[in-house]
Amino acid sequence: MLSRQPGDRTLPTLITLLVIGLLLMTYDIRSDGGGVTGTLRTGAQTIVAPLQKGAAFVVNPAIDAVDSLSNLAILREQNRALQQEVAELQAELIASVDDLARLELYEQIYELEATTTAVGRTVANVIGQPDAFDVALIIDKGSSHGIAVGQPVIDSSGFVVGSVQQVSALTATIVPITVGPSGVAVAVGEQVGFALPQVTTDEMRLELEAQEPVFAGDRAVTSSRSVNFPAGLPVGEVMADAAPTNDVLITTMAPYVQTDTLRVVVVLAWPPDPVTAATDAETTTTTTTTTIPGDGSTSTTAPEDG
Amino acid sequence: MRLRTILTLVGLVLVAIVLQTTMFSRLEFFTPDLVLLLAILIPLTKIRPELALLIAFTAGLTVDLLGSAVLGLRGIVFTIVAYLGIRTRDRADIGRIVTALWAGGLTLTGVILLILVGTLFGQSVLLGEGVVDRVIFVPIANFILAFILAPMFVRLIDRDSTAFRYV
Repeated sequence: MLSRQPGDRTLPTLITLLVIGLLLMTYDIRSDGGGVTGTLRTGAQTIVAPLQKGAAFVVNPAIDAVDSLSNLAILREQNRALQQEVAELQAELIASVDDLARLELYEQIYELEATTTAVGRTVANVIGQPDAFDVALIIDKGSSHGIAVGQPVIDSSGFVVGSVQQVSALTATIVPITVGPSGVAVAVGEQVGFALPQVTTDEMRLELEAQEPVFAGDRAVTSSRSVNFPAGLPVGEVMADAAPTNDVLITTMAPYVQTDTLRVVVVLAWPPDPVTAATDAETTTTTTTTTIPGDGSTSTTAPEDG
Repeated sequence: MRLRTILTLVGLVLVAIVLQTTMFSRLEFFTPDLVLLLAILIPLTKIRPELALLIAFTAGLTVDLLGSAVLGLRGIVFTIVAYLGIRTRDRADIGRIVTALWAGGLTLTGVILLILVGTLFGQSVLLGEGVVDRVIFVPIANFILAFILAPMFVRLIDRDSTAFRYV
């Protein structure tokens, strides 16, 4: 039972605040997070960021210690597996160094020049999430470190995490692809389409313009049609076999990244030249032009996805 | 209301926000909503109801400013929950468990409202994996925290060491 004393101003205050809240929501949606609300967000994040960083600095080691104690057996096993992986990778690295030396020699002999543009990378720590329901990630790098709204974010293994939604001087907010509003343009083999978020699950709906079936375990990578991500970044794998109907194929995809366990992410300074990217979507495909002296032929190749 | 009380409240809201966005976002087994709990507990104090609503609205708005969902969503939800708290607070001070149950019940109302209003405004960021689990676990965590902290909070804000002694 609700009780109300006569003459109190609680209800008018409630109604006023609700109206203000609804107006703010409408304005924020219509301005797409920009304008005054964008400035307010940046200001609030700038004020709270130092406190969040301080708290994360104190709290994270303690939580990691508790996590480690509760997962001691698993960690030992992981440690052994990682040591083995390190040994294998070291062997691969040595082989790669030999290959690189050989490549450099050939480049010198044939006077080759790559036209690929290096994408800047900013490594950042995940310091938290806004609350229990908002699955966005707060990272400890912001505009003062070169991060801008819309830049793609990957994890340390190169798997797609999401994109930057808001930036303050010291922090940024990342929205994962699994809850982002627009999905990701992906390619499975030669077939392109979209991976779209679904409610209450991390699995994504995969819609492809397809002539051929896809199979469970097939890899989905970002497509060159994507305006938000560079082509070829691994996104996830197909969960179930599916065949096309009327040139459209629909199935589900499991993203490679579990955002709730992420501690470190990499923000890509992409597109390298935003003006060019905005005017010409084709620049999303990185190409390498090679001119071979002697026969005068020129070949242009796109990098392999993944 | 004294300046000291206002400063204490602002400090508590800030601490709640910082702890919520850092420590509690990393705990998997204990997921309270500290800022919402604060909005629920303020009506238990002697602060004027209109001011309690304003504080709840501001606290929610601040979380909105730091999050990725639409601005004003939590402001609205926290204000409604605080209003329900003001209207039902007479039944909350019977005993420590009742206070905790009352806070847990209001938290449940709050998280359901958050999801409902968020869905109406197309906020898919609130509907990620495990949302159903969180609808259950957030009120339970707030129930536990309210059981521990509610009397202490009221005594701190009201500067009344006899408040919520349940004698």
